[in-house]
Amino acid sequence: MNGLASMARTIDRISEFVGNNVAWLALAMVLIQFAVVLARYVFGVGSIAVQESIIYSHALLFLLGSSFTLLHGGHVRVDIFYADASPRSKAVVDLLGSSFLLIPVCIAIFILSWNYVSSSWEVLEVSRESSGIEYVYVLKTVILIFCGMMVLQGISTIFHSILFLTGNEAAPQEETHEVI
Amino acid sequence: MELVEIFALGMFGLAVLALMAGFPVAFTLSGVALFVAGTAWAVGIFDISILGAMPSRVFGNAMWNEILIAVPLFVFMGVMLERSKVAEELLLTMGMLFGQMRGGLGISVFIVGALLAASTGIVGATVVTMGMMALPTMLKNGYDPKLAAGAICASGTLGQIIPPSIVLVILGEQISNAYVDAQRVIGNWSPEPVSVGDLFAGALLPGLMLVGMYMLYQLILAYVRPESSPVVPRDDFEEIDGSFVLKVLHALLPPILLILAVLGSILMGFATPTEAAAVGGMGAILLSGLRLDEKHGKLIYGAGISIFLMLILANIFDLRLGQTVYSSGTIFGLILAFALLAVVLAGLAISLKRVYRAGILKDVCKSTMEISSMVFVILIGAALFSLVFRGLGGDDMVHDFLSSMPGGKFGAILTVMLVIFFLGFFLDFIEITFVVVPIVAPIILQMDVNPVWLGIMIAMNLQTSFLTPPFGFALFYLRGVAPPEVTTAMIYKGVIPFVLIQLFALVLLSIFPEIVTWLPSVIFDSHY
Repeated sequence: MNGLASMARTIDRISEFVGNNVAWLALAMVLIQFAVVLARYVFGVGSIAVQESIIYSHALLFLLGSSFTLLHGGHVRVDIFYADASPRSKAVVDLLGSSFLLIPVCIAIFILSWNYVSSSWEVLEVSRESSGIEYVYVLKTVILIFCGMMVLQGISTIFHSILFLTGNEAAPQEETHEVI
Repeated sequence: MELVEIFALGMFGLAVLALMAGFPVAFTLSGVALFVAGTAWAVGIFDISILGAMPSRVFGNAMWNEILIAVPLFVFMGVMLERSKVAEELLLTMGMLFGQMRGGLGISVFIVGALLAASTGIVGATVVTMGMMALPTMLKNGYDPKLAAGAICASGTLGQIIPPSIVLVILGEQISNAYVDAQRVIGNWSPEPVSVGDLFAGALLPGLMLVGMYMLYQLILAYVRPESSPVVPRDDFEEIDGSFVLKVLHALLPPILLILAVLGSILMGFATPTEAAAVGGMGAILLSGLRLDEKHGKLIYGAGISIFLMLILANIFDLRLGQTVYSSGTIFGLILAFALLAVVLAGLAISLKRVYRAGILKDVCKSTMEISSMVFVILIGAALFSLVFRGLGGDDMVHDFLSSMPGGKFGAILTVMLVIFFLGFFLDFIEITFVVVPIVAPIILQMDVNPVWLGIMIAMNLQTSFLTPPFGFALFYLRGVAPPEVTTAMIYKGVIPFVLIQLFALVLLSIFPEIVTWLPSVIFDSHY
């Protein structure tokens, strides 16, 4: 049980660390896009590479921030029964859901994307625009990293659920989230 | 019924059932789809190679999506504005301004709801803030708790229909794709593109119409049943004098300026939603920085004003860099522009430092990341679901079903609206937009239906789903902050009149589609 707990903690720390740092990309998006607006509307200049860096930031933000979001319960659920369910049933839902939904899906996307990403590496794929960012193959690789991180976070969820159901850990705390 | 059709239908049913368990939606949708695809493949009725399109969907639809990058930007702007306490200040001053008329507190809730909707647009936060501030005031002054609860929930959901709204960005992208698909089917290979801006323009009048209808309901109630919404006694008020006027301006000016800058620039066709959202995000950072220390705000005011001055300057002088010969006017203009830029950067730096020290910046960034992840991972999950559904021939089934509806176009639209309304009891607008809209919208749009009108009808329908008991999100959020004397039953009863108003508004939009289509046709010259 101690092994499970320490593995789960390690995974959580990774997600926490990555999420905490990647979150700043949200600010970067606002600042870069604002700079693009000023440059375009005031000084009449533009750069495709800078424009594309906003797209890169966006993709990295949601893909790498996803396991942090899962850890903090930010992926939206249908709350009809879950909200009022006992901590035990919640743990069971999370245990089964991670094992039979989350992890299989992420493994499937990983396998389905493998050739897509590796063929991008073979040609070191660049942007379709001539002056765009030349690291499209790196960006595509993040799909695989996303899948990997989500599988890990799924494993951590399973461990936490087992630890709670066997009485070795307290129930996770509820967090509140913005609703758009 | 053929086996493959049973699979397609079964997948939908299974997904709805599995969702009820409460595991995150994104993985439930895709997990069920994966399971069904595997089983169907095993019995030989599913071509598994269809799933090969998945990575390009993930990359093309979720990651490299120039329209949807407006989502994180609008979220950032909304959450940052919320932290600068715009809502609280507006509620206080508007309550004072309108409190002495019959039904005045109710009216002030709707006005604040509309202002917040046009600036922050974050439904949960609006309902929570109003539930904590306006609800106790209304109860203390003898308002019918049902009316108060209903009014707060309804005005909170305005954020979804009044532009700029995140729902409209996401929906606009889906409608735009659906319209292109539909036009190809009927042989038009270069259709007029539908933009998010079109949807914003289309939603403006219907949104304001809703606010008007809410207020009318409140006023009628105040005269028919005066005890439901009494006047606030005079001694509860500050004198309406110079300092009060200043307070009102202090509360009103920031949201109004932001609305003008963000919504105004989109509707005038100056800027794309993405560009406008970034300017709004910048405005929100400046405002938050200012509110943290109002006494030392000269540079921040200066920065805000300088942004406007720079844009005006660019219209007077030719400030384009990289010209071979610069005229003296250009050189003069450029010097001025760079001086203004320096002020903007200084004000921005001060604001950023303040919001960072107060811990607001980190919080806002994290919230933006979580909402962004939530939305786009659902997009990925929904993409897998849609691929499998299509692979099982589900699209054709829905097409045949909708085309065979009695009443033709009308019957098909009514069916779709009813399905979305009922799905809205259980599902969030994001799932409905990513899963249901791509399936049904291309079919409806082949029937010569205006895409902007369809988009706004769906948006208002989804907004209603936030209000419908027992699972509407707005009710859930109000429940969390309402004082114990306001029971859940009161909240449910209180929103029913507003749900009816919504349905009435939908009927009005179907009888008079011009309420939606007129503004886009005037502004963007769009005729579909």
